[in-house]
Amino acid sequence: MRASLVPLLALVAWTLPACGGAEYDLVVYASHDQEHSEPIIKMFEERTGLKVRAQYDVEQNKTVGLVNRLIAEKDAPQCDVFWNNEIAHTIRLKRLGLTQPAESEATRAIPAEFRDAEGHWVGFAARARVLMVDPKQLEAAGTSLPPSIWEMTAAEYAKYGSMAQPLTGTTLTHFAVLSQQLGREQVLDWLRASRESGIALTNGNATSMKRVCQGDFPWCLTDTDDAAAAIANGYAMEVVYPDQTDAVQGTLLIPNTACMIAGSERMEAAQQFIDYLVSPEIEEYLANSRARQIPLHPEAKAPEGLQLPFRDFAVLAVDWEAAATELQEVEEEFQKIFTQ
Amino acid sequence: MPSLLRQARVWQGFAALLALGLVIGPLGPLLAAIFRGDAFTQLGEARVALVFWRSVWMAALSAGLAVLVGLPLAILAHRTRVWGAELLALLTPLTLLLPPLLMAQGWNGLTGWDGLWASVFTLGMCYAPLPALLASRALAVQPGAAHESALLCGGRRLALREMLTTARPAVALGGSLAFLFSITDFAVPDYMAALGDTFGVYPGHVFNHFRDDDYWAGARAAAPLILLCALVLYLGLWARDRWSQETPGSGRQADALDWGRATPAWSLLAWSLLGLTLLLPLGRIVFELGVAGPEAPGTWGSRASESVQAAFDRGREDVGRSFSNASLAGLVALLLAPFLAHLLASRRGRTARLLMTLTALPLLVPGVGYGMGAIAFANRPGWSEFYQGTGLVVLVYAGRFLPIAVFLLAERFQSVPRSRDEAALTLGLSYPRRLLQVFVTPQLSAWLLAAGLVVVFAVRELDLAILLPGANQSAAVRYFNALHFARDGFVAAFGLLIAILLFLPAMLYAAWTSLRRRDV
Repeated sequence: MRASLVPLLALVAWTLPACGGAEYDLVVYASHDQEHSEPIIKMFEERTGLKVRAQYDVEQNKTVGLVNRLIAEKDAPQCDVFWNNEIAHTIRLKRLGLTQPAESEATRAIPAEFRDAEGHWVGFAARARVLMVDPKQLEAAGTSLPPSIWEMTAAEYAKYGSMAQPLTGTTLTHFAVLSQQLGREQVLDWLRASRESGIALTNGNATSMKRVCQGDFPWCLTDTDDAAAAIANGYAMEVVYPDQTDAVQGTLLIPNTACMIAGSERMEAAQQFIDYLVSPEIEEYLANSRARQIPLHPEAKAPEGLQLPFRDFAVLAVDWEAAATELQEVEEEFQKIFTQ
Repeated sequence: MPSLLRQARVWQGFAALLALGLVIGPLGPLLAAIFRGDAFTQLGEARVALVFWRSVWMAALSAGLAVLVGLPLAILAHRTRVWGAELLALLTPLTLLLPPLLMAQGWNGLTGWDGLWASVFTLGMCYAPLPALLASRALAVQPGAAHESALLCGGRRLALREMLTTARPAVALGGSLAFLFSITDFAVPDYMAALGDTFGVYPGHVFNHFRDDDYWAGARAAAPLILLCALVLYLGLWARDRWSQETPGSGRQADALDWGRATPAWSLLAWSLLGLTLLLPLGRIVFELGVAGPEAPGTWGSRASESVQAAFDRGREDVGRSFSNASLAGLVALLLAPFLAHLLASRRGRTARLLMTLTALPLLVPGVGYGMGAIAFANRPGWSEFYQGTGLVVLVYAGRFLPIAVFLLAERFQSVPRSRDEAALTLGLSYPRRLLQVFVTPQLSAWLLAAGLVVVFAVRELDLAILLPGANQSAAVRYFNALHFARDGFVAAFGLLIAILLFLPAMLYAAWTSLRRRDV
């Protein structure tokens, strides 16, 4: 019995020091890919000497992540900066009074359509909603790509493609934007019809991308970072920017966003971090990463081959405030269609 | 005062109060939702009711499958002479260390199966070790006399029937636990629905409501699921009690059944069953280490090596933190579980079943609701250091997973002959010494295993890891983050690394006991 206590005591000695709370100069919640966000945060620590506590998120296992934690923590906020990998939930936080203005010269360098007029959030390093295509499969199937998102569920295209259900992430944002711009009933009807159309409805963009890589379908609607991941994994995929005709308005671009949390007691460090995130250097870092994110800062240099908005493809103009309102209103309707 | 400290009630009451203190903060708001009038009205909505009943029958089928695979595996590995029986017994629980989503990916990659039936199958295989483990424990104490008389009277067939009768109570409980884990799992059905025909399950409905700004929406959605789980657990305990036979704990144990010339066939069956629950999907996961597209540079071997290296480099510190937090939670369980287990083991009938069901509540509620409850409880002005630190993590983990340790120990304590306890009482031993000498010391391995299981479940836990500040930089978050961002090689390597580290103590312990047995 006494001999058994030795490993127990060793265990206590090993683990007890971890129990104390540590002091931090800045708390960052990051929902971006940890492999990229972690070195960026570490680089910031090295340069400034500030100690950052980073908290990460996942979506794959259907957890309720950092956004809900921020809401749950509203009475005693712990976070200083939220680095969101999309935009709709950032605006939701603003609406709930959980963010505060954080404007500076650095944030004002980002084009106005990608930052909040009141300075509550700023966008950077975007993803585009694109069609990822396996040209060989497309040719073998003897079909072509739908020219527009709206035609994905048409009989001649649907059975060759895949998209995520619009319940979470960028697909939810995408269809909320469409709902706000084109009319709610039209989008709901389209989504109802999509269930019967033959298009494969998956639980996320990454799954759609993987199914194309596996050879299940010639194309899918996904984000540029998922398509870039497939290409990085050695699959010969092509990226097509949909809705580039005169009849339709352009491809949707969804930026990362950074916002300062209301009640932050470390505002100076928080502003410093936001400025760092939207700098050309970080935009270039993310553009060169495996995620191939699209820089928004006019001074950021894009790597060769990366298509740029406005220059290489038309971008769908979005009123993000209105889209976020729409998202909150249609989310439950989407759930009713797909949770059956 | 000194005489008070010698009494069982005082110690057990104190332990119960401490356990209640651990869970009341996170659990209270969720349970309160059950008693709000509108918690069950949503089931009146046809769409929600359909999804709820689908979840029920899917989980029932998965549990049935788990029993169909787990019970024969337990009998073959623990009570018969098949090839590599010891190794079979050692490997059986390994499945429980791997995230079910990883197993689902393994099965899909291997067979291409998807949709609703693939989800039922995968969850059945993932949780087959639960009835197997409980049955193996019951079979291990099967009295030798009963087995031998069955063998003499009716040959192997009757001996097997006797084993089934012996294992039946444990299987009833194991099956109900498999049902609970299956019905609360969202990741596997969601993944399989994404690949094949779309279908919804009730945990998806709960998840969607926990995303609302209003915490109560999620809690209300979870209420029917919590209540159903409690009911199924109670029924499992009832079945166990009803089918239990009085077995003398100190009697001679039965020998393993010899299959004679049929040994190869039965061995093949045993290893095939383990193949279904573990080896086949695990093999696929190993294959995933180096899988890439046709244009990827390098060979499978070089890519696999890179994946393993990346898992070590990037995940090492997170794994260390996860094990550190989980170990402290295991330590809390180690201290509290014997008192609570003894309290449960000393009760019989309906009271014991009700107490056990109540004890299990922290496990039955969705992890996300438990985490939100912890935030609501601990994130308040002046508590920042506690909220941000790992102390809260340890307490929350310990509270959530303590029931596992208590159940395991209570089951072992029940097999201790009452006469030993009475003898210790007559000798005038104080309650703590009695508990230690009569119950804990003879069940030392079970005591350590109980704490070990708390460590395993704490390391695997994802929802709490995201929601609690001190738990966030963990193996679970890094693993699922990589899964979300499609880093397949890293995911496979990191999943295997975590599983191996979790399984290592059990393997070392088994090797040590095996060596000791040979020395004797």
